[in-house]
Amino acid sequence: MSYKIAVIGDPETVIGFSLAGVSHTHVYRDKNKALGQLEEFLNNREIGLILITHRVVESLGPEFHQVVRKKGLIPLVLKIPDKTGYSPEKDELSDLVRRSVGIEIPVKTEGE
Amino acid sequence: MAAAFTSSPNRMELMKVRKRLALAEKGHDLLKDKMDALVMELFNTLKTIQKSRATAIEQLRKGYEAVSACMAVMGTFETMQAAEETKKEIQIEISERNIMGIEVPTVEIEETERNALTRGYSLHTTSSHLDTAAREMERAVKLLVELAELEVTALTLARELERTKRRVNALEYILIPRLQGAMNFIMMRLDEMERENFTRLKRIKAILEERE
Repeated sequence: MSYKIAVIGDPETVIGFSLAGVSHTHVYRDKNKALGQLEEFLNNREIGLILITHRVVESLGPEFHQVVRKKGLIPLVLKIPDKTGYSPEKDELSDLVRRSVGIEIPVKTEGE
Repeated sequence: MAAAFTSSPNRMELMKVRKRLALAEKGHDLLKDKMDALVMELFNTLKTIQKSRATAIEQLRKGYEAVSACMAVMGTFETMQAAEETKKEIQIEISERNIMGIEVPTVEIEETERNALTRGYSLHTTSSHLDTAAREMERAVKLLVELAELEVTALTLARELERTKRRVNALEYILIPRLQGAMNFIMMRLDEMERENFTRLKRIKAILEERE
Protein backbone atom coordinates (compact mmCIF):
# COMPACT_ATOMS: atom_id res chain seq x y z
CA MET A 1 0.00 0.00 0.00
CA SER A 2 1.22 3.48 -0.58
CA TYR A 3 1.31 6.10 2.10
CA LYS A 4 2.27 9.68 2.70
CA ILE A 5 4.73 11.25 5.09
CA ALA A 6 3.97 13.72 7.87
CA VAL A 7 6.32 16.09 9.70
CA ILE A 8 6.03 17.82 13.06
CA GLY A 9 8.72 20.29 14.02
CA ASP A 10 9.90 23.86 14.13
CA PRO A 11 9.11 26.18 11.18
CA GLU A 12 12.43 25.70 9.46
CA THR A 13 12.24 21.92 9.57
CA VAL A 14 8.72 22.04 8.21
CA ILE A 15 9.70 24.37 5.37
CA GLY A 16 12.58 22.10 4.45
CA PHE A 17 10.41 19.01 4.29
CA SER A 18 7.65 20.82 2.39
CA LEU A 19 10.24 21.79 -0.21
CA ALA A 20 11.15 18.12 -0.53
CA GLY A 21 7.53 17.28 -1.21
CA VAL A 22 6.19 16.09 2.15
CA SER A 23 2.44 16.61 2.17
CA HIS A 24 1.33 16.71 5.82
CA THR A 25 3.11 19.18 8.05
CA HIS A 26 2.55 20.76 11.42
CA VAL A 27 4.55 23.58 12.94
CA TYR A 28 4.99 23.14 16.66
CA ARG A 29 3.47 25.99 18.64
CA ASP A 30 2.09 24.59 21.83
CA LYS A 31 1.92 21.23 23.43
CA ASN A 32 -1.80 20.56 23.24
CA LYS A 33 -2.12 21.51 19.60
CA ALA A 34 0.86 19.36 18.69
CA LEU A 35 -0.53 16.39 20.64
CA GLY A 36 -3.88 16.74 18.91
CA GLN A 37 -2.18 16.95 15.55
CA LEU A 38 0.00 13.95 16.34
CA GLU A 39 -3.06 11.92 17.22
CA GLU A 40 -4.73 13.02 14.03
CA PHE A 41 -1.69 11.94 12.01
CA LEU A 42 -1.63 8.60 13.80
CA ASN A 43 -5.28 7.98 13.01
CA ASN A 44 -5.00 9.15 9.42
CA ARG A 45 -4.83 6.01 7.31
CA GLU A 46 -3.10 7.84 4.48
CA ILE A 47 0.00 8.49 6.54
CA GLY A 48 2.68 5.84 6.78
CA LEU A 49 5.54 7.70 8.40
CA ILE A 50 5.64 10.52 10.92
CA LEU A 51 8.86 12.44 11.32
CA ILE A 52 9.08 14.41 14.55
CA THR A 53 12.01 16.38 15.89
CA HIS A 54 13.67 15.34 19.14
CA ARG A 55 12.98 18.75 20.61
CA VAL A 56 9.25 18.47 20.04
CA VAL A 57 9.25 14.95 21.49
CA GLU A 58 10.91 16.32 24.60
CA SER A 59 8.46 19.15 25.02
CA LEU A 60 5.55 16.74 24.65
CA GLY A 61 6.99 14.67 27.46
CA PRO A 62 5.39 11.41 28.62
CA GLU A 63 2.18 12.12 26.71
CA PHE A 64 4.08 11.51 23.50
CA HIS A 65 4.83 7.93 24.48
CA GLN A 66 1.29 7.39 25.69
CA VAL A 67 -0.13 8.48 22.36
CA VAL A 68 2.41 6.58 20.29
CA ARG A 69 2.08 3.37 22.24
CA LYS A 70 -1.54 2.98 21.15
CA LYS A 71 -0.72 2.77 17.45
CA GLY A 72 -0.20 -0.37 15.42
CA LEU A 73 2.78 -1.06 13.21
CA ILE A 74 1.77 1.64 10.73
CA PRO A 75 2.36 4.58 10.81
CA LEU A 76 6.02 4.40 11.66
CA VAL A 77 7.33 7.16 13.90
CA LEU A 78 10.88 8.40 13.51
CA LYS A 79 12.54 11.03 15.63
CA ILE A 80 14.89 13.32 13.76
CA PRO A 81 17.31 16.03 14.81
CA ASP A 82 16.29 19.64 14.05
CA LYS A 83 18.39 22.36 12.47
CA THR A 84 20.67 22.60 15.50
CA GLY A 85 21.43 18.90 15.15
CA TYR A 86 20.03 18.32 18.58
CA SER A 87 19.40 14.74 19.65
CA PRO A 88 19.29 13.47 23.22
CA GLU A 89 22.27 11.63 24.63
CA LYS A 90 20.15 8.80 25.91
CA ASP A 91 19.14 6.87 22.85
CA GLU A 92 15.89 4.93 23.16
CA LEU A 93 17.01 2.07 20.96
CA SER A 94 20.43 1.43 22.48
CA ASP A 95 18.81 1.73 25.89
CA LEU A 96 16.27 -0.92 25.04
CA VAL A 97 18.90 -3.17 23.50
CA ARG A 98 21.11 -2.93 26.54
CA ARG A 99 18.19 -3.83 28.71
CA SER A 100 17.03 -6.74 26.59
CA VAL A 101 20.34 -8.40 25.72
CA GLY A 102 23.09 -6.71 27.67
CA ILE A 103 22.63 -7.68 31.25
CA GLU A 104 21.43 -11.08 32.24
CA ILE A 105 19.69 -10.97 35.58
CA PRO A 106 18.62 -14.39 36.67
CA VAL A 107 15.68 -14.04 39.03
CA LYS A 108 15.96 -16.94 41.34
CA THR A 109 13.22 -17.58 43.85
CA GLU A 110 14.34 -19.57 46.81
CA GLY A 111 12.37 -20.85 49.76
CA GLU A 112 8.95 -19.21 49.72
CA MET B 1 5.80 -24.18 48.07
CA ALA B 2 4.49 -27.50 46.89
CA ALA B 3 1.14 -26.89 48.52
CA ALA B 4 0.34 -24.34 45.87
CA PHE B 5 0.18 -27.09 43.28
CA THR B 6 -1.23 -30.09 45.09
CA SER B 7 -4.37 -30.37 47.08
CA SER B 8 -3.94 -34.07 47.74
CA PRO B 9 -0.83 -36.10 47.09
CA ASN B 10 -1.95 -39.08 45.08
CA ARG B 11 -0.90 -40.84 41.91
CA MET B 12 -3.39 -38.92 39.79
CA GLU B 13 -1.91 -35.59 40.90
CA LEU B 14 1.58 -36.89 40.25
CA MET B 15 0.72 -37.71 36.66
CA LYS B 16 -0.83 -34.29 36.16
CA VAL B 17 2.22 -32.51 37.52
CA ARG B 18 4.52 -34.62 35.38
CA LYS B 19 2.56 -33.66 32.29
CA ARG B 20 2.67 -29.96 33.15
CA LEU B 21 6.40 -30.15 33.79
CA ALA B 22 7.04 -31.80 30.42
CA LEU B 23 5.00 -29.10 28.70
CA ALA B 24 6.73 -26.30 30.56
CA GLU B 25 10.13 -27.67 29.61
CA LYS B 26 9.17 -27.97 25.97
CA GLY B 27 7.86 -24.41 25.99
CA HIS B 28 11.03 -23.23 27.64
CA ASP B 29 13.20 -24.82 24.97
CA LEU B 30 11.12 -23.34 22.17
CA LEU B 31 11.18 -19.86 23.68
CA LYS B 32 14.89 -20.08 24.19
CA ASP B 33 15.36 -20.92 20.51
CA LYS B 34 13.17 -17.96 19.63
CA MET B 35 15.26 -15.73 21.86
CA ASP B 36 18.50 -16.80 20.17
CA ALA B 37 17.05 -16.17 16.74
CA LEU B 38 15.78 -12.76 17.83
CA VAL B 39 19.18 -11.75 19.18
CA MET B 40 20.78 -12.66 15.87
CA GLU B 41 18.21 -10.72 13.86
CA LEU B 42 18.53 -7.75 16.15
CA PHE B 43 22.30 -7.66 15.88
CA ASN B 44 22.13 -7.82 12.12
CA THR B 45 19.74 -4.88 12.08
CA LEU B 46 21.83 -2.90 14.54
CA LYS B 47 24.92 -3.38 12.42
CA THR B 48 23.32 -1.63 9.45
CA ILE B 49 21.53 0.95 11.55
CA GLN B 50 24.64 2.77 12.73
CA LYS B 51 25.82 3.48 9.22
CA SER B 52 22.40 4.37 7.93
CA ARG B 53 21.83 6.73 10.83
CA ALA B 54 25.12 8.54 10.30
CA THR B 55 24.52 9.12 6.58
CA ALA B 56 20.89 10.15 7.03
CA ILE B 57 21.66 12.64 9.76
CA GLU B 58 24.57 14.06 7.84
CA GLN B 59 22.38 14.56 4.78
CA LEU B 60 19.65 16.12 6.93
CA ARG B 61 22.19 18.55 8.36
CA LYS B 62 23.19 19.54 4.84
CA GLY B 63 19.53 20.01 4.02
CA TYR B 64 18.89 22.30 6.99
CA GLU B 65 21.98 24.27 6.13
CA ALA B 66 20.75 24.80 2.59
CA VAL B 67 17.31 25.80 3.84
CA SER B 68 18.83 28.33 6.23
CA ALA B 69 21.00 29.76 3.45
CA CYS B 70 17.98 30.01 1.23
CA MET B 71 16.00 31.80 3.90
CA ALA B 72 18.86 34.23 4.36
CA VAL B 73 19.09 35.00 0.67
CA MET B 74 15.45 34.95 -0.34
CA GLY B 75 13.81 35.93 2.90
CA THR B 76 11.79 33.81 5.30
CA PHE B 77 8.41 34.70 3.92
CA GLU B 78 9.34 34.06 0.31
CA THR B 79 10.83 30.69 1.23
CA MET B 80 7.67 29.75 3.06
CA GLN B 81 5.67 30.83 0.06
CA ALA B 82 7.76 28.64 -2.23
CA ALA B 83 7.43 25.72 0.17
CA GLU B 84 3.65 26.16 0.03
CA GLU B 85 3.72 26.07 -3.74
CA THR B 86 5.91 22.98 -4.00
CA LYS B 87 4.10 19.91 -5.26
CA LYS B 88 3.63 17.44 -2.43
CA GLU B 89 3.91 14.11 -4.11
CA ILE B 90 6.15 11.90 -2.02
CA GLN B 91 4.69 8.44 -1.66
CA ILE B 92 6.12 5.52 0.23
CA GLU B 93 5.24 1.86 0.00
CA ILE B 94 4.97 -0.01 3.26
CA SER B 95 4.45 -3.73 3.53
CA GLU B 96 4.75 -6.06 6.47
CA ARG B 97 7.37 -8.72 6.80
CA ASN B 98 7.44 -11.57 9.24
CA ILE B 99 10.46 -12.38 11.41
CA MET B 100 9.81 -15.24 13.85
CA GLY B 101 6.13 -14.33 13.96
CA ILE B 102 6.79 -10.66 14.52
CA GLU B 103 5.49 -8.13 12.06
CA VAL B 104 8.12 -5.67 10.93
CA PRO B 105 7.73 -3.06 8.22
CA THR B 106 9.44 -2.97 4.84
CA VAL B 107 9.44 0.49 3.36
CA GLU B 108 10.11 1.35 -0.22
CA ILE B 109 10.42 4.80 -1.68
CA GLU B 110 10.84 5.93 -5.22
CA GLU B 111 13.48 8.40 -6.25
CA THR B 112 12.63 11.61 -4.41
CA GLU B 113 14.97 13.91 -6.24
CA ARG B 114 13.13 16.05 -8.75
CA ASN B 115 13.98 18.37 -11.52
CA ALA B 116 13.71 22.05 -10.59
CA LEU B 117 11.07 22.46 -13.29
CA THR B 118 8.79 19.82 -11.85
CA ARG B 119 8.83 21.02 -8.25
CA GLY B 120 5.98 23.45 -8.79
CA TYR B 121 7.32 26.73 -7.46
CA SER B 122 7.99 29.59 -9.77
CA LEU B 123 11.54 29.61 -11.07
CA HIS B 124 11.13 33.19 -12.08
CA THR B 125 10.82 34.57 -8.57
CA THR B 126 13.06 32.18 -6.64
CA SER B 127 16.80 31.95 -6.14
CA SER B 128 18.97 28.98 -7.01
CA HIS B 129 19.50 28.54 -3.30
CA LEU B 130 15.95 27.29 -3.12
CA ASP B 131 16.72 24.61 -5.68
CA THR B 132 19.73 23.49 -3.68
CA ALA B 133 17.69 23.41 -0.48
CA ALA B 134 14.92 21.39 -2.08
CA ARG B 135 17.39 18.96 -3.62
CA GLU B 136 19.26 18.36 -0.36
CA MET B 137 16.01 17.87 1.54
CA GLU B 138 14.73 15.45 -1.07
CA ARG B 139 17.86 13.36 -0.64
CA ALA B 140 17.49 13.55 3.13
CA VAL B 141 13.89 12.34 3.00
CA LYS B 142 14.90 9.27 1.02
CA LEU B 143 17.60 8.36 3.53
CA LEU B 144 15.30 9.05 6.48
CA VAL B 145 12.63 6.77 5.09
CA GLU B 146 15.18 3.98 4.78
CA LEU B 147 16.39 4.70 8.30
CA ALA B 148 12.83 4.61 9.64
CA GLU B 149 12.40 1.06 8.42
CA LEU B 150 15.54 -0.08 10.23
CA GLU B 151 14.81 1.84 13.42
CA VAL B 152 11.28 0.53 13.71
CA THR B 153 12.41 -3.01 12.95
CA ALA B 154 15.09 -2.85 15.62
CA LEU B 155 12.71 -1.37 18.18
CA THR B 156 10.06 -3.99 17.50
CA LEU B 157 12.60 -6.80 17.72
CA ALA B 158 14.11 -5.47 20.92
CA ARG B 159 10.69 -5.16 22.57
CA GLU B 160 9.74 -8.68 21.53
CA LEU B 161 13.10 -9.92 22.78
CA GLU B 162 12.47 -8.33 26.15
CA ARG B 163 9.08 -10.01 26.37
CA THR B 164 10.46 -13.38 25.33
CA LYS B 165 13.26 -13.12 27.83
CA ARG B 166 10.83 -12.44 30.63
CA ARG B 167 8.82 -15.49 29.66
CA VAL B 168 11.89 -17.69 29.47
CA ASN B 169 12.99 -16.52 32.91
CA ALA B 170 9.53 -17.04 34.37
CA LEU B 171 9.53 -20.60 33.15
CA GLU B 172 13.12 -21.32 34.08
CA TYR B 173 13.23 -19.81 37.53
CA ILE B 174 9.65 -19.98 38.76
CA LEU B 175 7.31 -22.40 37.08
CA ILE B 176 9.67 -25.30 36.42
CA PRO B 177 11.29 -25.31 39.90
CA ARG B 178 7.85 -25.13 41.49
CA LEU B 179 6.55 -28.03 39.48
CA GLN B 180 9.65 -30.04 40.33
CA GLY B 181 9.13 -29.24 43.98
CA ALA B 182 5.52 -30.35 43.74
CA MET B 183 6.56 -33.57 42.08
CA ASN B 184 9.13 -34.34 44.76
CA PHE B 185 6.62 -33.56 47.45
CA ILE B 186 4.06 -35.99 46.01
CA MET B 187 6.59 -38.75 45.47
CA MET B 188 7.90 -38.50 49.01
CA ARG B 189 4.40 -38.40 50.41
CA LEU B 190 3.45 -41.51 48.43
CA ASP B 191 6.56 -43.36 49.64
CA GLU B 192 5.79 -42.32 53.16
CA MET B 193 2.23 -43.60 52.86
CA GLU B 194 3.49 -46.92 51.55
CA ARG B 195 5.86 -47.30 54.49
CA GLU B 196 3.06 -46.43 56.91
CA ASN B 197 0.86 -49.06 55.35
CA PHE B 198 3.65 -51.59 55.50
CA THR B 199 4.33 -51.11 59.21
CA ARG B 200 0.61 -51.08 59.95
CA LEU B 201 0.25 -54.50 58.30
CA LYS B 202 3.28 -55.86 60.16
CA ARG B 203 1.87 -54.60 63.43
CA ILE B 204 -1.58 -56.14 62.78
CA LYS B 205 0.02 -59.41 61.84
CA ALA B 206 2.01 -59.40 65.08
CA ILE B 207 -1.12 -58.69 67.14
CA LEU B 208 -3.04 -61.47 65.40
CA GLU B 209 -0.20 -63.95 66.00
CA GLU B 210 -0.10 -63.02 69.69
CA ARG B 211 -3.81 -63.82 70.10
CA GLU B 212 -3.47 -67.31 68.73
